[in-house]
Amino acid sequence: MKRRRRTEILIQGDGRLAKDLAASIAEKYECREISAPEQGMIMVKMRETAKNSLFYIGEVLTTEAKAEISGEIGTGLLVGMDEQRASDLAIIDAAYKAQLPETAEWEPLLLDEEQQIHAAKAQQQAGLFETKVNFETMEV
Amino acid sequence: MGYVPVKGGTQAIEASIKRLTYERLKGEEILEINTILATMGSMVDQVMSESSLYSPELAALAIKQGEGSMEEAVFLMRAHRSTLPRHYYSETVEAETMLVERRISASFKDIPGGQLLGATYDYTHRLLDFGLLEESMETNRKWLQDYKNNLSALQGSTEVVYFPKVVDYLRKEGLFKTYEPDNTFPNDVTKQSLQFPTTRSARLQVLTRGQTGTVTSFGYASLRGYGQVHPTVGEVRVGKIPIYTAHPNEVDPDPEDQFYVGEMRITEVESFVPVTVKNDNNEGELEFEIGYGVCYGQNETKAIAMSILDQCLEHPNADFPTHDEEFVLLHLDSVESTGFISHLKLPHYVTFQSKLDSIRQVKKGVQEVES
Repeated sequence: MKRRRRTEILIQGDGRLAKDLAASIAEKYECREISAPEQGMIMVKMRETAKNSLFYIGEVLTTEAKAEISGEIGTGLLVGMDEQRASDLAIIDAAYKAQLPETAEWEPLLLDEEQQIHAAKAQQQAGLFETKVNFETMEV
Repeated sequence: MGYVPVKGGTQAIEASIKRLTYERLKGEEILEINTILATMGSMVDQVMSESSLYSPELAALAIKQGEGSMEEAVFLMRAHRSTLPRHYYSETVEAETMLVERRISASFKDIPGGQLLGATYDYTHRLLDFGLLEESMETNRKWLQDYKNNLSALQGSTEVVYFPKVVDYLRKEGLFKTYEPDNTFPNDVTKQSLQFPTTRSARLQVLTRGQTGTVTSFGYASLRGYGQVHPTVGEVRVGKIPIYTAHPNEVDPDPEDQFYVGEMRITEVESFVPVTVKNDNNEGELEFEIGYGVCYGQNETKAIAMSILDQCLEHPNADFPTHDEEFVLLHLDSVESTGFISHLKLPHYVTFQSKLDSIRQVKKGVQEVES
């Protein structure tokens, strides 16, 4: 699974899966911490919808960590203050870059988590639709 | 009279800071950060927006430390921001990717996807709720459980819906002008001071980080006649947008290898503004233009006011202060305006003595002439 999709799953999920996957690698392989989790910022570029041009809406606080496995450096980067998950994501990213055989076994776990995230979003949206306005045209 | 340099006050300042701590602690109550996050969402949103740093946790800490003072909280956030490294720029965030929580239009009742009120104070009675004086966690938990039970009983779609923009619908009908994507690299006012005349990207960045009260007041001034923009709100939407970034060192630009970093909650507004333009026969013709407003969190008043000011500044006009970009953009920033006003409290002994000396000289001269 490519990085974009797996980071969506691992960040939108509650963190347990990321922790389990990282722990399974850390106990079997030598994981070297290249940089401990630290706070930083990402500047967010946005497209406005009046003239279709670009501008910077502002900065977002992030936590970032880096880890190395078998000479491959992985990056864990996410919005907010979550050092544990940044470290876990860095190990998982390094595991994919090092093409460790375990990563192939993670696919069904990630797909299952993705389904749960999707179902939770759909359920939340169903609640939101309770606030949808049904206009009635009045006779004048 | 000569000027006398002075120093001192160190002990008094230390005592003053102790006094400040005493004032915060003397009530013997501790406000937890989680309590601020859970119950003061609008305030957290406003601090993030005005400080231009999206972090609910840091904003809540700043509110606690500043004892609820918005200007102090924003100042603390800006100061902290200056200590943080910025290692990444995001990929372009497209508004259509928003997972909408609220979406309304004042222009059309039947918008594609419908009007979703979400959570809003708009339809509440503004009467103090004295029941909150005796709020109990037990009652709240029961209310929450009932609410969640009702929601879980709903038979919703299994699909997640992403809503089209109202303006896209109008553009497809040919009622609004269509613009090709303009990928001009934006200016960043945090890296380079504002230069006049400004670019659109710089204007939008200054407007979105402006002080809520000032942005609102300037927008209001335009409506009242100190400007020429009186829009109809095409769409207000509140929701979360995803943020992605590319790996800084990887050469493969495959979008599927980008990092998903997380999401941020924003308010976004398109206002429709009628303008008269000349057609090919030099006759006046009515057209609509769009004012754009956006800010961190849920702050609809600010985003709507920003959309008015965006449109004002797209049409410079020296006759109206809200169409004057120097007037608008140089007075919106919380830290700049509150900082400049507060500096008036600092010792100005030398400059004031100089003014007094001048007045004494003038008066002495007048007396000599009179005698």
